[in-house]
Amino acid sequence: MDAADCELFTEALRKAVQHGVSLDDVGWYDALADDREVAVATLFELQGEHNATSTALDAVVADAAGLPSGRILLPALDSAHAPATITGGRVRVRGICRGGLDSTVIAATNDGYVSLQVSDLQLRPVGGMDPRLELVAITGAVHGAVPEPAGWTAGVAAGQLALAHELVGTSRAMLRLAREHALDREQFGRPIASFQAVRHKLAEAHVAVESAKSAADAAWHDPAFAAVAKAVAGRSARTVARHAQQVLAGIGFTTEHPLHRYIRRALVLDGLFGSSRTLTSEIGAQALRTRHLPRPIPL
Amino acid sequence: MQLDAFRRELDGWLDEHAAELARDASDGDGLDADMAQLAKVKQMTFDAGWMRWGWPQRVGGLGGSPLLRGYLGEALTARDLVEPGTYSMTEVLAPTMIDYARPELAAEMVPRLLRGEEMWCQGFSEPGTGSNLAALSCRAVRADDGWRVTGQKVWTSFAQFAQRCVLLARTGAPDSAHRGITALFVDMDAPGITVRPIETMHGRLEFCEVFFDDVLVPVERMLGEEGQGWSVAMDLLPYERSTSLWHRGAFLQQRLQHLLTDVADDSLSAAELGDVVVQLFALRARSRATQHRLAAGERLGPETSVDKVLLATTEQSLFDLVASAVADDVLTGDDAAGARWRSDYLYSRAATIYGGSAEIQRNVLARRVLDLGPES
Repeated sequence: MDAADCELFTEALRKAVQHGVSLDDVGWYDALADDREVAVATLFELQGEHNATSTALDAVVADAAGLPSGRILLPALDSAHAPATITGGRVRVRGICRGGLDSTVIAATNDGYVSLQVSDLQLRPVGGMDPRLELVAITGAVHGAVPEPAGWTAGVAAGQLALAHELVGTSRAMLRLAREHALDREQFGRPIASFQAVRHKLAEAHVAVESAKSAADAAWHDPAFAAVAKAVAGRSARTVARHAQQVLAGIGFTTEHPLHRYIRRALVLDGLFGSSRTLTSEIGAQALRTRHLPRPIPL
Repeated sequence: MQLDAFRRELDGWLDEHAAELARDASDGDGLDADMAQLAKVKQMTFDAGWMRWGWPQRVGGLGGSPLLRGYLGEALTARDLVEPGTYSMTEVLAPTMIDYARPELAAEMVPRLLRGEEMWCQGFSEPGTGSNLAALSCRAVRADDGWRVTGQKVWTSFAQFAQRCVLLARTGAPDSAHRGITALFVDMDAPGITVRPIETMHGRLEFCEVFFDDVLVPVERMLGEEGQGWSVAMDLLPYERSTSLWHRGAFLQQRLQHLLTDVADDSLSAAELGDVVVQLFALRARSRATQHRLAAGERLGPETSVDKVLLATTEQSLFDLVASAVADDVLTGDDAAGARWRSDYLYSRAATIYGGSAEIQRNVLARRVLDLGPES
C-alpha cells in the first residue's frame, strides 16, 4: 500500500473499530493477506487507542501458524506455550479465547492442531481486571482427536507482535488523556501542564510510547524480534499507565474518566503471550545460556 | 552503492585488513593512543573509499545514502576499532560544514576531517552557559581584517588535539540571546588561543577550557551569515542524535556482549540482563528509524530528544549491570580490563549530562513535541 492507500485504509478501520463494524466489511482480512504489516499494525494500534476488541488476533495467529480460520485457543495467561498437549491419544487444553465463542475451537500443539467442540470443554467467562476484553478461560481433556500439522512458533511471534502494536495504541491513548487533562486542569491559577514535574512525567511517557512503537515496527524484520518487541511494549505501557494515572490524579482513579479502562487493558494485554517480566527473563536466560546477545537489528 | 552490498563488501575488507586495522598495543591505552588509532582507521577507510560513501562529492565524498555512514561507524565500533566518542566528531561537524560553510571552504576542509588528518572540536558551552546555551558571552567584534574573538569556552571535547574549532560567539548585543550569535570556523593554532585540558572522573583528559584573547578569524570563516549561529547549533544537535547515536548503540551492544563473554556464570541474573537487552533493542529500533528518516531527506528536529533520552537511560542501565556483575574489576581491578570497565562505568554517569542534559531533553519534548505550552 502507498501512503494515500494507507491513510484511507486507516480511516475506514478507525470507523469500524469505533462503531463495531465487521472487519470483513472494511476489507481487513484481504489486507491481512496482501500486506500483513500494515493490516496488523494499523488495526491493533487502533484497537488499543479506542479500547476496542475483536477476534482479529485469531486470524493473525492462524495465518502465521498455518491453522484453519475459526476461533483459536490462545495460550493461558503469562505464557506462550501451545495451549494443547497430546499424550496417549488424550488432548489436554488450557488457554483463553478472546472476543466470544463459536461451537468449535482450534487448539494448537507445538507442531500441530486439533479442532474441538466447545461443548466438550470447561468454560469460564473471565471478568477479572478487564471484563470488556471478553475473555473466556477454557480447560479440558478430550479423547481421540487426531492432530493436523501446523507451526505454533510462528503463531506466537505473530500474536506477540500484534499485541505489541495494541499496547502501543493503548499507551498512546493513556498519554493523550493525561496530556489533555494537564492542559485543561488549572491549579494555582494556571494549567498543571505548566509545571515541570508534570511536564517531565508526560515527556517520560512519550519516550515510552515512541520506543515501543519503534520496537514493534523494527520487529517486522524478523519474527525472532517479536518477543523482545512485546517486552518493550508491555514495559512501556506500565510506565505510561503510571505517569498518566499520576497526572490525572483523583479523576483518573474514578470510573467517571476513561483512563481506568486503558490501564486495565494494558495490564491484561501485557499478560497475553507472555508478560514483559516473563519475556525479559527468558531473553536474559537465553543470552546467558548461549553467551550471545540476540542478533542486533540491521540498519 | 546500496546498503546490502556496502555491508557485505565492507565486512569482507575489514576481515581482510583486521591485522593492520587493529590497535597497536605498544601505543598504550590512553587518549593519545585512541587518537592515533582513530587517525589510522580513518585514513585507511578513506583511502579504500569506505569513509567517502554517504558524503557529497563536493567535499570529497562518493555520494550515496547516509545509511552507509551509519553502517561504517557501526562496523568499526562493533569490532572495537574506534571509540565512538572521538569518532562522533566527524558525524556531528562535517554535516554542519557542508550545510553552512562557503563551498570552497567545505571542499578544502571536510576531506581532512574524513581522512583523519585533522581533529575538530565544538566550542559551544561556557562557564556561564551550560543548558542555557543562548546566553553565551564569548564575544566576536567586527574589525577591518575579520572577527576579533575574546572569551572562554569550557567542556570542549578533544580541543587539545584539534586543528579547528566550530565556535559560537556573541556578535549582537549582550542581551540579544539566540538572535545575536554567529558561528565561526577557527584555526586552533591562531595566536591568542590557549587550551587547558581538564581531567575527568573517568581518568581522561576528555575535555578542555579554551581561552580566546583577541583571536583574529577571517570573515570568510563565518559559517552561515552573521547572526545565524543559533540555526547552525540547532541543526547540528540532531546530527549528534542520528548517525553518532546509532554508532553509540553499536558500542553498547559490543560492551554488553563483551560482558557476557567475560563474566562468571553466577554473576549475572537473567532478569537484569534481559532488562538491558530489551532496553538496548528499543534504543536501536528507535535510532534505526531516525537513521532512515535522515536518509529519506527528512529534517530532524526536537523529536530526536527521544533518542537521546533512550541512549542515556540505556547506557546507564548497562553500566549499572556491569558495575554489579564485575564489581571486582570496577572497584579494585588495576589491570587493563579493570581500568576499561571502570572508565566505561564512570563515563556512563555523564550520559544524562552531555549533549543537553536529561532535564533539558524532557523540557524540549514537553514544549516542542507534546506542545504543552510555556512552563511556569
